[in-house]
Amino acid sequence: MDLNVLKSYIPLYNEALLLTVKIGFIGILTAFAIGLSGAWAIYFKIPVVKKVLTIYIELFRNTPLLVQLFFIYFALPKLGLKISAELCGILGLGLIGGAYMIETFRSGLESIDKVQSESALSLGMTEGQVFFDIILPQAFSVSMPGIMANVIFLLKETSVFSTISLMDLMFTAKDLIGMYAKTIECLFLLVVYYLIMLLPVSILGSIIERRVRYAEFGD
Amino acid sequence: MKKNLLTKMGTLVISGALIASSLAGCGAKADSSDSASAETTITEEETATADAAEETSEATEDATEDTAKVYRTLDEIKESGTINIGVFSDKSPFGYVDENGEYAGYDVYFAEKIGEDLGVDINYVSTEAANRIEYLQTGKVDIILANFTVTEERAQEVDFALPYMNVALGVVSPSDKVVESLDDVTADDQIIVISGTTAETYLEKNYPDIKLQKYDAYAEAKTAFENGNGVAWANDNTEVIAFSLENEGYTVGIPSLGDADTIAPAVTKGNETLLTWLNDEIETIGNDNFFHKDYEATLLDTYGADYENTLVVEGGKAE
Repeated sequence: MDLNVLKSYIPLYNEALLLTVKIGFIGILTAFAIGLSGAWAIYFKIPVVKKVLTIYIELFRNTPLLVQLFFIYFALPKLGLKISAELCGILGLGLIGGAYMIETFRSGLESIDKVQSESALSLGMTEGQVFFDIILPQAFSVSMPGIMANVIFLLKETSVFSTISLMDLMFTAKDLIGMYAKTIECLFLLVVYYLIMLLPVSILGSIIERRVRYAEFGD
Repeated sequence: MKKNLLTKMGTLVISGALIASSLAGCGAKADSSDSASAETTITEEETATADAAEETSEATEDATEDTAKVYRTLDEIKESGTINIGVFSDKSPFGYVDENGEYAGYDVYFAEKIGEDLGVDINYVSTEAANRIEYLQTGKVDIILANFTVTEERAQEVDFALPYMNVALGVVSPSDKVVESLDDVTADDQIIVISGTTAETYLEKNYPDIKLQKYDAYAEAKTAFENGNGVAWANDNTEVIAFSLENEGYTVGIPSLGDADTIAPAVTKGNETLLTWLNDEIETIGNDNFFHKDYEATLLDTYGADYENTLVVEGGKAE
């Protein structure tokens, strides 16, 4: 392994890390929003919307992200809808993530006993108060491990972005190997950079999980 | 819960330490092998193979013997009865899979001849531009016959046999907005290239200001170009000429860019026996004008007769 080679590649990897984190972050936020609103709609069994969401979940959970990206990036322009590579990455990540997040939030919501909402209603709380003050905080606490698992899964899924010409970490490594054939250095940096990106997320996740589940476990 | 957090912190610290130590270790390794080569008088070639062995396996101690060779010699290939040849599967008309699911094209026509003359079966391995060197260095294939342009950088990593085709770079763009000079490309425009090709390396080196949109595979780059994702597509001129002939509405604005290069088969660095055999083979079949026949069988439909003498290199003698 050549240290000078490593050093000269670091700026490129930094750039790739930034792009990966940026798209990952926005994508995950989108997934989060879809997940929360979708789970809410399913929990309250809103007609039609629930059916549509079920189809959406099955469609996106049972096809690989790679195939979805291919479709969004290469097939949609043929139908007249052109999307930039970055937006396509965000959309792909948001949509597949959304499908997973809905299921995670839903499992949390459904784990809360119906007795709780009935009791709260009988005490005179409004539907909104019951959902946001009683059900959601508890459901969130139950869903937390699943949410963190999804976040890490989504960040790792960014490695298929090379297909749509996004210079993420994986593609940067592959590209450099193709040009200069410094395989060991490139792959080594790749592992290091994925760890740099994911370990803090994992640690932060533990801290958040602990805060959110305070009510459940105490100290 | 606290424990869990501690474990994760621990993992972070340990992996940090591992990374640091492996960095230090590698530095030391390189140093020791350098000093070893300075003290003893090993030839350059031997240290090169020793270095390769060091990279690919952990058996660095007995690097004096060539124990960790990844390639198969000519005899080993003959004995096994199969040769692994890396070709493109999506680069018509050079290496592609035809409608019957069979490999076909200019490179494949030559590969068939190699299999025939060696008396072995051929196992085609589909490659992408960026992993051609990898496949040879890890011994996944014996020969790469995938439109592999000979360059100095690549020659340090693999051994090229005699050339069998001429090539330069070319740039194709839509006919209504032809790019005739790379100086016309503005800062907002993007040029499509394929990762790991000579076009990419050339543009990175000579036009660092031009934004490149990089793709993994030919098929994807083509689709992206058809979708209008870039103002132009830079690649081997053979490829862009073929594209403009096969697709209406595209013009090759820059038919020749950079140095004239050649395309040759490549083998793993140090695979002398196979390399020698290949060179002999190319010279021998040149006597029957094999590559002209190859051109007429595979490329004539695309390029017409005009390009025959500019493209074909016969008997390994490039002009």
